[in-house]
Amino acid sequence: MIRFSNVTKVYGRDTVALERLNLEIDQGEFVFLVGPSGSGKSTLVRLMIKEMEPSAGAIFVNGTKLSSVSRRHIPQLRRGIGCVFQDFKLLPNKTAAENVAYAMEVTGQRRRVIKTKVPQILDLVGLSGKMDKFPEMLSGGEQQRVSIARAFVSQPPILVADEPTGNLDPNTSVGIMQLLHRINRTGTTVVVATHDREMVDVMRKRVVALDEGRIVRDKVKGAYADEV
Amino acid sequence: MRFNLGFFLGEAFKNIRLNLLMSITAVTTTFICILVLGVGLLVSSHVEGVIGSVREDVSVEVFMPGRGQEEMAALEEKAKGWEEVASVNRVSEDEALASFKDTFEEQPEIYENLDRGVLPASLQIQLTDPDLANSVAGKLEAEGYDEENLSYPQQTIERLNSVTSYMIWGLYAATVLFLIASVLLISNAIRLSIFARRKEIEVMKLVGASDGFVRTPFVLEGLIQGLLGAGLAALTVVWLNFLFVDWSRQELTFVPIAADAVNTVSILLILIVVGVAIGVVGSFLSVTRFLRKI
Repeated sequence: MIRFSNVTKVYGRDTVALERLNLEIDQGEFVFLVGPSGSGKSTLVRLMIKEMEPSAGAIFVNGTKLSSVSRRHIPQLRRGIGCVFQDFKLLPNKTAAENVAYAMEVTGQRRRVIKTKVPQILDLVGLSGKMDKFPEMLSGGEQQRVSIARAFVSQPPILVADEPTGNLDPNTSVGIMQLLHRINRTGTTVVVATHDREMVDVMRKRVVALDEGRIVRDKVKGAYADEV
Repeated sequence: MRFNLGFFLGEAFKNIRLNLLMSITAVTTTFICILVLGVGLLVSSHVEGVIGSVREDVSVEVFMPGRGQEEMAALEEKAKGWEEVASVNRVSEDEALASFKDTFEEQPEIYENLDRGVLPASLQIQLTDPDLANSVAGKLEAEGYDEENLSYPQQTIERLNSVTSYMIWGLYAATVLFLIASVLLISNAIRLSIFARRKEIEVMKLVGASDGFVRTPFVLEGLIQGLLGAGLAALTVVWLNFLFVDWSRQELTFVPIAADAVNTVSILLILIVVGVAIGVVGSFLSVTRFLRKI
């Protein structure tokens, strides 16, 4: 599903973000990427959606080699990967429902389909009563739910979250993680880059630990840190 | 992918409403630039109209003091035979005095002591082409009428030709400069409004919107703003033209300014098309340049 093969990413001249990284994630997996700041988690996520190019190595997503995806076809690639960010990245001038609808409009979905699908998905993330609220009227947790709804509304095979709970309090974070877990159970591959130690320890999913651009640990049903 | 015009138009109008100040700036800039361009067009068409009518009016006048009726008739017949001549008009002494009085109607002190005979009879020879005045004058001199008794504004025409051609070229140059300035101003206004929304555009791209999808509402927005600014400016220009023609009829009676020197419809069209084109091209280029960067 997702494969990094000998991927190196160097920023500027000598800031190495990833070094000869090999990683394979299968369909339907739930994977935590953990590690300190600057360990390369975000770089990995940004490479996956082709927000930038690796310095060396090859990346495959949904069977496509990213280096062969032309600029013009990046939108199609991104429609296959739902993205959730630490800062939510909602469109401030659109209501919760419109934000979710936008992700469907870019794919040219019919209005009728959008009208039925958006309320369903907002109901799924527990925001059926706040469809017409603008992002600034929503709490952080609610905004993140909207952004998850937006990422998932087209049912992409992959959902990537970069520090989805980074701006949220622990109780809210639990709700967000449960939501991601539910999405994973529908068969969607979920990759979560996080600092959230507690969450990782509770969920008991595959944990890939990064440090200075290298994978230092990769454990199924792992925890944030090495267990003694 | 289907092209959903309703959605894009909705987005464009929403953008205009939410960024009202920026929209007003863009519309105002377009309005001013198109207004200046329109006034330039107006001035140049009126100048061309005046020149045209002055040149059309060119005639050679032969004064015939002390010559008899027969001689006048003979010259009239001869002149009518020349190919440069369009028509010949005989003016008697009485008619000369009458038209003089007419011209200075409001200053009777100028003509009250004039006697019949002070103003000589003359022949007014209308030419087919003002450039032929010289050759006609030559022929008249050959007939025995010396330079003194001929009035043909050859020098005036020459001066008029050179001055007005400079003037018209100057006006065209100024118009082109204004056009360039307006394109720069407007695309700058658009770029500012796009820069203010760069985060939004980045998010749109992250959700998988294609460049075209992001761009279309912006281009429609530029089109609407251009149409609004240019439309208002074009109407203002036409209104100014009416005011000017009206005013000149009363105050500039001796200048042949004609209402039909300006083709109102074509000026309206030109201005609106230019305004819309600037809006569309400006926003297209600004968004495209921005999209390349992310």
